[in-house]
Amino acid sequence: MKRTLLVLVITVLMFGTCNTTLLAQGMEGSKSVPLSKVVRLNRAPVNKQILRVKLPRPREVKLDNGLDVLVLERHKLPTVAFMLWVKTGALEDPRDIPGLAKFTADMLREGTTHRSSAQLAKDVDDIGASLGASASFGRNVSSVTASGLVENTDRILELMSDVVLNPTFPQDELAKYKKRQLASLQQMRSQPSFLARERFYSVLYGDFPASEVAATPASVNKVTREDMAKFHDEYYVPNNAILGVVGDVQYDSIVPLIKKYFGGWKRQAVSNGKLPPVPKPAKAKVVLVDRPDSVQTNIMAGDQALRRNDPDYIPLVVTNHILGGGPAARLFLDLREEKGYTYGAYSYFRSDVYPGPWIASTEVRTAVTDGSMKALMDEFKKIRTEDVPEKELDEARRAIVASFALSLEQPSTLLHAWLTVDYYKLPQDYWDQYPEEVAKVTPQVVQETAKKYIDLDHLQVVCVGDGKQIKDVLKKYGPLEVYDTNGNKVD
Amino acid sequence: MLLASVLLLAQALAAAELRVPHLNFSDQRLENGLRVIIAPDHSAPVFAISVTYNVGSHSERPGRTGFAHLFEHMMFQGSKNVGKGEHMILIENNGGNMNGTTSEDRTNYFEMLPKNQLDLALFLESDRMRSLAVNQANLDNQRNAVQEERRLGIDNQPYGKAYLEIDNLAYDNFAYKHSIIGSMADLNAATVADVQNFFRIYYAPNNAVLTLVGDLDPTEALEKVKKYFGDIPSQPAPPKPDLTEPEHYGERRETMMDPLARLPMILMAFHTPPGNTADNYALQVLANILSTGESSRLYQHLVKDKQLATSVDTQADMRTGDSLFYVVAVPRPGVKVADLENAIEEEIAAVKKDGVTEAEMQKARAQFRRGQIQARQSDLYTAMRIGEYTVKFNDPDLINTIFDKFNAVTAVQVKDVANKYLIARQQAVVIDLPAKKETAAASR
Repeated sequence: MKRTLLVLVITVLMFGTCNTTLLAQGMEGSKSVPLSKVVRLNRAPVNKQILRVKLPRPREVKLDNGLDVLVLERHKLPTVAFMLWVKTGALEDPRDIPGLAKFTADMLREGTTHRSSAQLAKDVDDIGASLGASASFGRNVSSVTASGLVENTDRILELMSDVVLNPTFPQDELAKYKKRQLASLQQMRSQPSFLARERFYSVLYGDFPASEVAATPASVNKVTREDMAKFHDEYYVPNNAILGVVGDVQYDSIVPLIKKYFGGWKRQAVSNGKLPPVPKPAKAKVVLVDRPDSVQTNIMAGDQALRRNDPDYIPLVVTNHILGGGPAARLFLDLREEKGYTYGAYSYFRSDVYPGPWIASTEVRTAVTDGSMKALMDEFKKIRTEDVPEKELDEARRAIVASFALSLEQPSTLLHAWLTVDYYKLPQDYWDQYPEEVAKVTPQVVQETAKKYIDLDHLQVVCVGDGKQIKDVLKKYGPLEVYDTNGNKVD
Repeated sequence: MLLASVLLLAQALAAAELRVPHLNFSDQRLENGLRVIIAPDHSAPVFAISVTYNVGSHSERPGRTGFAHLFEHMMFQGSKNVGKGEHMILIENNGGNMNGTTSEDRTNYFEMLPKNQLDLALFLESDRMRSLAVNQANLDNQRNAVQEERRLGIDNQPYGKAYLEIDNLAYDNFAYKHSIIGSMADLNAATVADVQNFFRIYYAPNNAVLTLVGDLDPTEALEKVKKYFGDIPSQPAPPKPDLTEPEHYGERRETMMDPLARLPMILMAFHTPPGNTADNYALQVLANILSTGESSRLYQHLVKDKQLATSVDTQADMRTGDSLFYVVAVPRPGVKVADLENAIEEEIAAVKKDGVTEAEMQKARAQFRRGQIQARQSDLYTAMRIGEYTVKFNDPDLINTIFDKFNAVTAVQVKDVANKYLIARQQAVVIDLPAKKETAAASR
């Protein structure tokens, strides 16, 4: 059932681990409210054994043209999904055309040498299939995905190869696409979460391309079909790509079919440009995006963290899990369950071919902006300076390892895990070793990791909210810069 | 005559091949009235549990809007043997995930866990069904969380209030007229006594459906369910809400000013029959033909060809009672709201006059079938759907038969329901306009 149109169902959590020591300050200043404390009775029957699972491994083959192919058989349902990762994406956008990788990916579906845009849409919908292409900002991947019922495998692959190999970027479709993009850029500015991301990534990465989170009206107006055709010609080549397939297929019959549709894709030399250097982390500061009618303050606080292949990756997974990885983590229990400041408070990190960001974020009513900032800072300091109790660490490690069982249910999650190993050149036994690596994380490692990556001297805090109510509050937490909702610096 | 029959036979054969894999499940009631549905699936070492209660925002009275959802939050605040917040901690720390959701017609609670934690899930769900513990501090705390949820999703978002206003305008019956999230004033008025009463009336085994789907042995699982839930006493049946909507006698229309929006939005709602009726299924097929996929009529005509809209979507909802067919559209910058609205009305008029094509019907069936098969991937989603179908329509087997119901809809029925229900007398329209002068001027 699709539930996308209107907000029809509401939930306890928006998405989805523990500690209970901090005292609540009175809510909203002086008003004294009895503390709503998290309590553990420890009476529930828990099976102490962690269900150990091994992630099923795909069979891999390299085609003559250099295309790496991963085949993962999962036979629960008669479905199939293909994911193609072209190893060039938004990080290679020219500085004067932010969004070029995205524009190119978006336009793949707008016409090929065999089909018009409308024909492609019809051919995909007629068999109830899905076909999409995207290039996420902050990554160096352009991805094309196609999925549907296994009885349509041949047709799905043919459609997918058509958009990957033969796009024409037709002028009339591009003109329409530009108008849709301009409207959508205008729409995004009304979302406080977008304004927060835009400013946060900009303060973290400066001139490094990971600072982009969206195209700009100028880049939409500037881009030509030739720019896209060139990007496509240079980077959409088989020796610069990985194709994964998961579902109710047999290795022996799917590989010939992939060869049939992708075997003719021509190998050529690829020159992925060298990425510019990532700027040194700036001194800690607070940036306000003044949105006058806001009834909440959206807070994003964070630092540059690490690359995907960094040996600190797993220690940071554990550390972040304790701090803000879910509804049993410190931030959620403190800011929501005990203080009632917010609907959700979480932390997370992204790692990539460059040091991705570590971020803590929450949305709080305007009146408790100060209390929330203080609570966040207190939690950051605590995990940096106090040993995490052995029990809490044990539970975090257990949570991470036990959750592997759930990933076995979703074929696309499994395929994604193996594409990640290939793309970031992680060891082939990465997922087999993962639980042992998690088990090695000690309280000392957590504290060292927190000190290194939750770097308060370089912490960048972005708040989107009603400036006249929160500006003075924010000045307490560092030097303040102010922007308007159009992205212009005003103070 | 001969040709027609051959054609019908060919269609019948084609339809016979269109299948969704059958899901086997057991369905029984414990002595206390708890309905227990168990569907084994051994494809991954996990299971899902969903407990669906026959209560939703439609059960609320004036002055207490938002209560069913606020109550849902209270169900995570502790019970006799589970501390406040401990439920979330226990599920998370054992590799699972969980949540609860509230709609107009039902409230559900669910967990997904590795298969060796069945006792944990049953213990947690049974303890809160038996012995919810509430106090003033926890109520105040969750009232705050819910009010932040409202600010996050409604008050601090463009179009947030318009999404609530369309239901308020379309319905006269209070049951569906008010929002699920509720008003700030009503949330503030809720008391601990309200929470206790609500628990006593609605949170009884005889008003709930427990669904288990996943890698479990059905006999053993049923024994465990009996062990954990069997001694929870049943309660008198809760009052049945009156969901009948009075006759409407004309279009309703309202314009709102939205300081957070940068482009206008048009929201339309037409009254339709309840979910799980032949006409409602026909309206779902119509919504699919109008807006599902890039080849759909509204996308091709209004977004691509005429370039009047940046987005346009339709949805036929499936409530227990009188339901709505929504159309929501955002004009492209520079396009007049009236021009887009007229273009939408023209599209609806075209369906009324000429109907839909057999090719469009086949495409809709292909999309429903793929959607129904894909939806089975997740044990959790399957458990939630079975619970919902049982509480709302007393039919858990809809998990198997709903595709046949879509599949049985004919082009003639689609044209008929468009003529019968998509009419001005049954319509409500909300126009949400950016309130700021500069952006508003640019869009008109």
